[in-house]
Amino acid sequence: MHKRGIKQWVVPGAVMAATLVKYCEKIPPMYGDYEAQRHWMELTVHLPIQQWYTYDLQYWGLDYPPLTAYVSWFCGIIANWIQPSWVALDKSRGIESPGSKVFMRSTVVFFDMLVYIPALLMFARTWQGSRSRRTQELALLTLLLQPALLLIDFGHFQYNSVMLGFTLLAINFFATGQDLIGAFFFVLSLGFKQMALYYAPAIGSYLLAKCLYLGPSAGSRLFLRLALVTSLTFILLFLPFLPPFASLTSILDPITRIFPFARGLFEDKVANFWCATNVAFKWKNWASRGSLVKLSTGFTAVGFLPAVVVLLNAGWKLQAASPSKGGKDREGEKKGEKEHVPFLPLLPYALLTSSMSFFLFSFQVHEKTILLPLLPITLLLSGAPVDSAVYSWGALVNNVAVFSMWPLLKRDGLGVQYIATLLLWNRLIGYNPIRVPPKSFIQFLSMAVYAAAAGLHLLELMITPPTRYPDLFAVLNVLISTPVFVLVWLWSIKCGMEVGWALGGLGPAASAKSTTTSAERRLSEEKGAGEAVGSFRQMGGRAVSLGFGQSQARKRAPLQSVRSKTSSSSVTTGEGEVI
Amino acid sequence: MSKDESTEMESLRKRSSVTSFNASNPSTIDTSSPPEELDLTKRSSWFPWDVQVVEWDVLLASTAIKLLLFPSYRSTDFEVHRNWLAITYSLPISKWYYDTTSEWTLDYPPFFAYFEKLLSIPASLIDPRIVDLNNLNYSAWSVVAYQRTTVILTELVLGVAVLRFIRGSVDPSIQRIISASLFLHPGFLIIDHIHFQYNGFMFGILLWSILMARNGNKLVSGILFAILLNFKHIYMYLAPAYFIYLLRSFCLSPTYQLQTKNFVSLANAVIAVFVVSLGPFIVMGQIPQVLSRLFPFTRGLNHAYWAPNFWALVTAADRVLLKYARRTGADIPINISGVASTSRGLVGDTVFAILPNIQPIHTFIITIAWQSIWLIKLWRTPTYKSFLTALTLCGWTSFLFGWHVHEKAVLLVLIPLSLLASERQAYFRTFIIASVAGIFSLFPLIFTPGESLVKVIYSTLWITFIYVPLSRRVYEFPKSLSYVILDTLEKIYLAGFPFLLLFVSLFPMLGNRWQGSNVAQTNNTCLSTDSFSCPDPEPSAPASFSASALEFLPLMTTSVYCAVGLVWGFLRLMYVYLNETTYQGQLSGIR
Repeated sequence: MHKRGIKQWVVPGAVMAATLVKYCEKIPPMYGDYEAQRHWMELTVHLPIQQWYTYDLQYWGLDYPPLTAYVSWFCGIIANWIQPSWVALDKSRGIESPGSKVFMRSTVVFFDMLVYIPALLMFARTWQGSRSRRTQELALLTLLLQPALLLIDFGHFQYNSVMLGFTLLAINFFATGQDLIGAFFFVLSLGFKQMALYYAPAIGSYLLAKCLYLGPSAGSRLFLRLALVTSLTFILLFLPFLPPFASLTSILDPITRIFPFARGLFEDKVANFWCATNVAFKWKNWASRGSLVKLSTGFTAVGFLPAVVVLLNAGWKLQAASPSKGGKDREGEKKGEKEHVPFLPLLPYALLTSSMSFFLFSFQVHEKTILLPLLPITLLLSGAPVDSAVYSWGALVNNVAVFSMWPLLKRDGLGVQYIATLLLWNRLIGYNPIRVPPKSFIQFLSMAVYAAAAGLHLLELMITPPTRYPDLFAVLNVLISTPVFVLVWLWSIKCGMEVGWALGGLGPAASAKSTTTSAERRLSEEKGAGEAVGSFRQMGGRAVSLGFGQSQARKRAPLQSVRSKTSSSSVTTGEGEVI
Repeated sequence: MSKDESTEMESLRKRSSVTSFNASNPSTIDTSSPPEELDLTKRSSWFPWDVQVVEWDVLLASTAIKLLLFPSYRSTDFEVHRNWLAITYSLPISKWYYDTTSEWTLDYPPFFAYFEKLLSIPASLIDPRIVDLNNLNYSAWSVVAYQRTTVILTELVLGVAVLRFIRGSVDPSIQRIISASLFLHPGFLIIDHIHFQYNGFMFGILLWSILMARNGNKLVSGILFAILLNFKHIYMYLAPAYFIYLLRSFCLSPTYQLQTKNFVSLANAVIAVFVVSLGPFIVMGQIPQVLSRLFPFTRGLNHAYWAPNFWALVTAADRVLLKYARRTGADIPINISGVASTSRGLVGDTVFAILPNIQPIHTFIITIAWQSIWLIKLWRTPTYKSFLTALTLCGWTSFLFGWHVHEKAVLLVLIPLSLLASERQAYFRTFIIASVAGIFSLFPLIFTPGESLVKVIYSTLWITFIYVPLSRRVYEFPKSLSYVILDTLEKIYLAGFPFLLLFVSLFPMLGNRWQGSNVAQTNNTCLSTDSFSCPDPEPSAPASFSASALEFLPLMTTSVYCAVGLVWGFLRLMYVYLNETTYQGQLSGIR
């Protein structure tokens, strides 16, 4: 495309193509999330705010945080203006006219364009800012056409891309050093869907590590500011439910709706630890619900602990070993806030570890929640060269995630879309799982998993499950998918530790250098990993796994050494923002 | 130049390229690919076929989109084709053209019936209810998936044909863009994959035939066209150009001597094709019945929604004159039956209120008169490029002046014209105007809200990715003032399409509100609460005549606006063709 001189058309073209694919997907039958979302528009338009979380809860009561409610309210007003019958209170239940369907789908596309696509564009420009435009565009396409998100948001119908988009924006602002804006966006993400909590340990510990890294005085100042911004944003979101506007107890309405601990350990068949082990070990018979909640919470905490520890450790060690950032003087502090943070490359791995451990071990998980771990790994994948381990893992997890949602998609009648989006995306990223003989563990694993998945699909086509086990195929699906997710979780811990070790082990002046060396080490690893496959991907890809961090570090390396030698800190870097 | 010579040239070129490459870099020889393609094209290792990675990408991406369109809106043509599957499967051949179980009787030539027979065999294995003759309007998932899949698979004929166009073309990198544009043509997406027909397959045969003409294999070209005619008789629009071209350049020598061998072989082959096709019906004595099915002359001048052709302009002029006559009270005889006729947009006779009425014979004479101009020109310069232009113009003439032309027939213009697109700026601009107007005129075929956005976004993407690379390639500096004025006017015309789209899509909404405020709001409140099937008010019955006229207004505007572009493009190409010597391009080299 670049050769033809249509460079400036690539990004709009990509966005349009993605929109096209989104509109091509069809809405599944009624009474799913579609009806829930539509119903929320209906009730937010017609009812006062205090009744939002209390009105007729049996019929798809509102159970997402306030930002979702506000968004529904906004959409509801528009719908009411276009065609009041779409959102008439009570009377519109189950309405599925072609016009209303297009309207609902357009709202998803609209918010996707408003939040997720800008977030992706910004991601490509910041995290991969040092890469060629071609790589950036490829990364953008990889993320835009991610099949799992397409199928769930535009096929099944949800607004996940908004939540993911807010989180992604937060990460982008962390990368540019504007932590407060980042924190604001992350709270918005939390305020849109409570599922963003899956990321909270990683984000929280990243910010804490940054405070540690900046040293006592600058760090505590940042900490206070973050605390202020976060709580102010939360208060802003929940304002209508707080005392001057409502009674004190009314805040409990949304809270109890958002965190439903009264339900079971898992609902449908979902490819996580509890559901998979339930095959052999009936958890419900062995423990009460209360102890199961505790148990799952404990497991989850243990699950994301490594990420937290690695991040905090990196922050602490780099700070302790860094005399120039020891918080000696005010200039040092000012500079510190503008500085690029060396342990930023850890963040995606930490996000992956934390969200995957929540998915695997926490209470009341839906199969759709796999979208949360998919975001960080797809971010990692988007910039990775075709023969790297990150690439293979990323592609495998994405495909298996879509596979794990097969029972849901089948119920929705999205079988053709399942095939088409998978085909399109795998072709796009130039993925070719069949490589004989497999050269590494991950390739071997991929082949085995794909063979099993294909076998299962064939089996499902040919025979009907015995009446004794109506969920046979769903359970087999869980048994295939879960090990992959567990392995990815372990792999993310391993990668996090590797990167953390490479960062933390060395001195401050060399901290920048150490990232480079780690990059070089990874690079050599990846170079040897596999040989070229027939794809356009390999022509553009430079073999670096995390472009932004390392290139920034590389750019700064001479600068930093000069600075530490002269210990003068009047150097201004043009790109930092004064907060 | 004969065929042997050209192939020899080809192989020579290859050989020299290989040897030169060999000398410079002996380790990386790619023996099969011409040197100018090396940069773009890594050969796929998946298949041993002569298909490159870029081309696989195009195929897979388009297939993915087509798969996603499986559950989308489909017109009655879907049921038409299902019914034909049932007819050909469950009835003996003698009853195919007599069956009236469904209102959708078989009205395509015999080859298409055979084709349906072939498709019905797997269909019966997949789901016997598909081929049940009395199972009208069957729309289970099995039949949808099956029929849509057959469209995708048979379209591969088109895919292979356009691939063959790249190989051995003068400039493969440009031809690749054109080929991709043909394969991904929004016309096919709208008509075949949403609306439902088999145009991709049949235009594939047409392109094969044109390709054979380019490669100098005129006998095969003629045979393929004869086969095509027996699939769908609408291709008769193009037949005059074929006839003259083959007669002049294949059956006659440059000095007008009859090449007896060529003539006899071509005549025999074409007759053989018709015998295979019509033979069984000749034996059974059913030819009159078959012909009456194929050529129903009982329809009106305009189709339900006016195809954007010359008659649309005439009809619109009639409307305007009527308005004028009524307002000013001018002394013009008004045909009363014509007052209500044309704006209704129903299938039936179009009767003009002011202008003289048109009979089929008039349209026939006008068409022949125009076509004879191209045919004379073609007779005098029977080159490939001249043939291609004449072919396009023949199709165009029939489309503009024919009787009861359907808007889908615009593909007969757009597809051959695409092959000329990169020739010169003059051709390219004609191509762009015709494509934009022609594709836009297909939009009303798809009126469901869900697919409307798909068609618009897809077409916009398509035109962008054709326009940008090709326009750079063919750019010519304006040489005269009149050129600049024309160029500006054309750009203004093209810029009008977004506004037209806006008008067409917003009008029903505004009309609805306007109507809602006049008529009491009966439709807008949904009364049925027990059953969840509130009808959408959009297709609600119009309350008065004025409302129905307003409903028709967007369609009328669309067809008139597109007709302007198509008529202008026609005149443009005519001018270019008649002054062909000044518009030499890369295709001029092909004899």
